[in-house]
Formats: sequence, C-alpha cells, structure tokens
Amino acid sequence: MNSNIKVPTYILVSLLFVAAVGLLTGLYSGLVRLGFLPETNHAISPLAHGPLMINGFLGTLIGLERAAALDKKWAFVGPVFMAASTGFLLTGLQVLGEWSLILGSVGLTVVMAFLYYLQPKMYHLIMALGAGSLLVGNLFYVFNYPIYMLVGWWAAFPVLTIFGERLELNRIMRPPKQAQQIFVGLILGWIIALGITHFDRVIGWSTASLLLIIIAGWLVQYDVARRTIKSVEWTRYSAVCLLTGYGWLILAGLFGLWYGFPTAGPLYDGLLHMIFVGFVFSMIFAHASVIIPSLSGKIIPWHRYFYLPLLLLHGFLAIRILGDLLLLPMVRKVGSHGNVLAIILFLVGVLYQLMSRSLKKKPEPPKVEKSPA
Amino acid sequence: MSKSSIDRRKIARNLREVIDPELGVNIVDLGLVYNILCDDGRVVVEFTATTPGCPMRRFLQQQVEEKLAAIEEIDEYEARLVWEPEWNVDMIKKDVEFFAYPPPQQRA
Repeated sequence: MNSNIKVPTYILVSLLFVAAVGLLTGLYSGLVRLGFLPETNHAISPLAHGPLMINGFLGTLIGLERAAALDKKWAFVGPVFMAASTGFLLTGLQVLGEWSLILGSVGLTVVMAFLYYLQPKMYHLIMALGAGSLLVGNLFYVFNYPIYMLVGWWAAFPVLTIFGERLELNRIMRPPKQAQQIFVGLILGWIIALGITHFDRVIGWSTASLLLIIIAGWLVQYDVARRTIKSVEWTRYSAVCLLTGYGWLILAGLFGLWYGFPTAGPLYDGLLHMIFVGFVFSMIFAHASVIIPSLSGKIIPWHRYFYLPLLLLHGFLAIRILGDLLLLPMVRKVGSHGNVLAIILFLVGVLYQLMSRSLKKKPEPPKVEKSPA
Repeated sequence: MSKSSIDRRKIARNLREVIDPELGVNIVDLGLVYNILCDDGRVVVEFTATTPGCPMRRFLQQQVEEKLAAIEEIDEYEARLVWEPEWNVDMIKKDVEFFAYPPPQQRA
C-alpha cells in the first residue's frame, strides 16, 4: 500500500545526519576557539563556530522539521541549502557557503510565512519572525558586519521558534486570551528592542533583557511543563529541560540588565552561552523525543541515563559562567569542554537507544530444517 | 468475516493506540480523527494535525497507516490528511487527561 507521504524518510534522515555534522564540527570549532590543542593546525576555523551552530545545525534541523511537517518538496530548499552551507564552510568555500546561508534562510522564511498564510495564528507569526531574524543576521554576516552586532538576530532565530512552539502547544492549557495577547506583545517588544540595539546598545539590550525575564516568567506560569514535571520518563524529562531552560533565560536577562551587551570578552561569552547553551540546548534536549520520531519515524526508548547529560550541561555551564565572571580562563575552559561532553553524551545516548531497540526488534531468522543425509 | 462489514469500532479502537507523543493523548480523544469511511474492503481515515506545521504529522500518518494495515479485514486503506475544519482545543474529548497515557516507548 502506498503511503500518502511524498518525501521519503531516508532524505530526512540524510539531512538530519548533515545537521549532526554541523553540530559536531561547530562544537569542534568552538573548542579550537578556546585554544584546544594549540600546536595543531586545525582544519576547521574557529571563526566558523557561530555559522556552523546557528545555520549548519539549528537552521538545518528547524528547517527540516518544518519541511517534513509540510511534506512539500519545495519546502526542503531551506534545509538543503543550510546543510550545503556546512559543506562549503568546512571546505573553505566561503562565498558559496555565504550564498547558501542566505538562500537557506530565505527558504526557511518562505516556509514559515507559508505556514502563517495557511493558518494565520500568532504562534506562526512568531516562528516566521524567528526565521526572518535568521535572514537578517545572515545578511549582516555576509556583508561583514562584526558578529557582536548580528548575534542578537542569530539568537532570535531559535528563541522565537521555541516561543512560537510553546505558545502553540500550550493552547491545551487554555491560557486566558489576555495572557496570550500579553505574551505576543512582549515578544514583539523584544524584537523591537533587538532592533534598537543597532542605534543604542545600552537602551536596546536593557529593554530586551527585561522583556526576556518577563517572557520567561510567563512561560513558567503558563507552560504545560509545570504539570508534566509530575509525569514520567520523556514527559517528565522534557519538563525538567523546559523549566531549567526558562531559568537560564531569566538569568540571561538579569545578566544583561547588570552587564549590558558586551561586544567581546568573557562577559560576552557568558551572556551568549547562557542563551545558546542554557536555553537553546535545554530546549533541544526537551524536544529530542519528539524531533527524532517526527523525522525518522523511530521512537527513542526512554532511559534515565538522559538525566546525566542534562545535569552535565547545566552544571558545566554554571562553571563556565563562573569562569567568565571571575575572569578565570581555565575555569571557563573546563566549563565549556564539559558542555561539549554533555552534548556528545546526549547524542550517544540517543543513538545507542535507537540502535538497541532496532536490534531487539529484528526478527529471528527462520530455522532451516536439515535434510537427512 | 465478510469484507463488506468492516467494524468501524475496531478501526477506532486501533486508532486509539496512536498516541501524540507531544501531548500523551490518543488521536481519537484529541479529536484529530474526523472520519472513518468504509466501503467494501476499502477504508479511508480522514484525520488532521494540531497545526499545519506540526512536526508529528508524518509520524502520525505512518502510525495510522500501520494500525489500518494491522486489520485483517481491510483490503485497501488510505490515511488522508485534511485541514478542514481547522482543529482547535474544543475538539478534544471532555475531561481527557493529558500525559496520563503510558508513553509510547513503554508499550513498544
């Protein structure tokens, strides 16, 4: 019987694999940036860390998720170019890589705008604004603006995508209409504040930080995670990831109010990784049990082992931030290496669980009766 | 059993085994199954997703197809995704308990 699904699963799995390559090379590039094996002539530039993590990994993954949901071939333009950008950036084809980033983010923005056209709801608008933010950030990037000027737009991509997704999912909690409108207003205010940072970095980021704290507070109040934390297995695990991620968002907001939006150095490192590791990776851990089946059709069997990488992620991030605040490069190094370890341990856990299940499910070969001699 | 008398309740029972992993509720109680059309050995299940951008859409489609394929009396089946009417939370069965359902991986 032919399935109604138009795009075969192996294409999705292949692109998922390229997203994983983007992640691993992005992590490696981050380590090189921190002075990993200084005597070695590294094949991956430390400058590729941001583009690989934001576009090669997150752009491909989120683009893939949306394209798979739509199940239309044209929707795959975004993730395919995002995946291609990883290959070009790794092989040093910078110009082609930059073109791929732009085409990939245009593709993703068109998909999100199309979803808003299909269902003009606020959560789709927020997600579309997230994709648009990625495009803005990438345009600044190809026009050689300094990273500290565009990184807010790069951050807005996963942050807004997650805000939109949570607003959509939390419909089941039936939050009051006014509360939903306030949430959308806060998010739109946050995007405007991000724009203001280009004219006045202090006022823009202070406003954005304050709004970030209130948005995180809204999520703690209305997210289903407060209920599902009493559940079991993946459901409970996701809730822990979500709530701790919101916690990091509040801390990032407080950090931003206190220290502003530095342009380089340890405080800049601290602020960015509170958002990208503390919030974004926590969300990735939270949603992995949904993302993997949605793309591969395979459920990840639960194991309490998954709490180990989560604990390491948050624990080592706290160490890293401490190193940033106290200006102790070695402490920061330990923390950041620990973060890489946590992410790899999570990936290994997912792969092991998927493989062990498929091995268990393999049917026994039929017994062949020996014919009498 | 005659192929013309496919038991719709049996189909609905099978579809109740399809759990939306994001919400921990089966797709029938979530109100995602709009129609079960049976005609002489052929079954068409019209279902929807919570949103057109729902990442679980493919997974649910595969699961619905698997559940239909498991029913011996069905010769031909189609899991047809529809977007009209638009799903909303009021379509969820009253008093349904979210996340109370054993996670799918437990039952696998």
